[in-house]
Amino acid sequence: MVDIDRPTSPHLQIYRPQLTSILSISHRISGIFLVLGVVCLSGWIISLALGEIWFGWFDAARSSLLGQVCSVAWVFSLFYHLLNGVRHLCWDIGWGLDLPQVYGSGYAAVIGAGVLTGLLFIFA
Amino acid sequence: MAQFRLPVGSRIAEGRYFNYNGAGESMRRVQVYRWNQESGKQPQIDTFEIGGEIAGPMVLDVLIKIKDSIDSTLTFRRSCREGICGSCAMNIDGVNTLACTTPVADLPETIKIYPLPHLPVIKDLVPDLEQFYKQHAIVEPWLKQSGEAPDEERLQSPAARAALDGSDECILCACCSTSCPSYWWNSDAYLGPAALLQSYRWLADNRDGARLERLKQLDDAFALFRCHTIMNCTSACPKGLNPARAISKIKKMLVSRQKGN
Repeated sequence: MVDIDRPTSPHLQIYRPQLTSILSISHRISGIFLVLGVVCLSGWIISLALGEIWFGWFDAARSSLLGQVCSVAWVFSLFYHLLNGVRHLCWDIGWGLDLPQVYGSGYAAVIGAGVLTGLLFIFA
Repeated sequence: MAQFRLPVGSRIAEGRYFNYNGAGESMRRVQVYRWNQESGKQPQIDTFEIGGEIAGPMVLDVLIKIKDSIDSTLTFRRSCREGICGSCAMNIDGVNTLACTTPVADLPETIKIYPLPHLPVIKDLVPDLEQFYKQHAIVEPWLKQSGEAPDEERLQSPAARAALDGSDECILCACCSTSCPSYWWNSDAYLGPAALLQSYRWLADNRDGARLERLKQLDDAFALFRCHTIMNCTSACPKGLNPARAISKIKKMLVSRQKGN
């Protein structure tokens, strides 16, 4: 074929988001977000070692609106990443690869993460 | 690095508008991706409003109606019109499927039709599938045995034959591979669900003598393991096959082979 500068057909722009792909990218995003969470958690502990002024400053940040929203999001990400990770482990041993099971376990992972997050904030 | 945005020359402009008896209840609105190398322009979306009788219930019937009655330059592949040749695979209402088995009645009022995603476009809805076919050739989809060919056919028990069910019905339409984000970003190195399903078909065949050789070929970071079990392939397959499960089984075969050696 003659070398022609052909356009690439549209992909992300037009493909309908579905549970399969959304949960997959969410798994990555929650993983990256959790790394950020670990950094903040370490910072919080380090601030404790540095003394009252640092800890007070850090604790104020934590209890701000942004800090609280992030805390909830981190806990949700942790549970979602955990449950979806179990889903991936099941797939790796060949379980639950039929489409109805994939959808069922997908909804279960999202709802389960929500419930566990709620329970943690009620009881913690 | 994956390129998430379309390159400048691939971005889509608004195209022309056609109305053909477009009034009343039977009116259908179809938006179709158009690109023609001779125009020298970027791709565009043409809108067709079509009323009146259409010969059949499927999206392919609508495309044929457009080509027959409105714009004969509209280009798409089609052949069997009954879901067995795989020619009319395209992206309809956001998912890859066959135009000939997708009823118009199941779709929203405006039907959006694009070529299969992330491929070089030859014209309109016809993408270049050369890479897809090359990958198919890489897995060497034929029976391999050492030694002389026997005089009689190689018999297979019903149970051994049943192991191939769900992997030999693939019609090579490319709906699965081009629905896979991992394939979009790595189609140069990742074989994609269709080729891997075909690979599994020969790995699962008890008559094939090249199992270890086939597994060894797939054992690198990209060819097989760029599958992240997203499952878009299985949800797209118009034949109801499950390439993701086949890939998962190949991964297991690879791991158990390494344990055995």
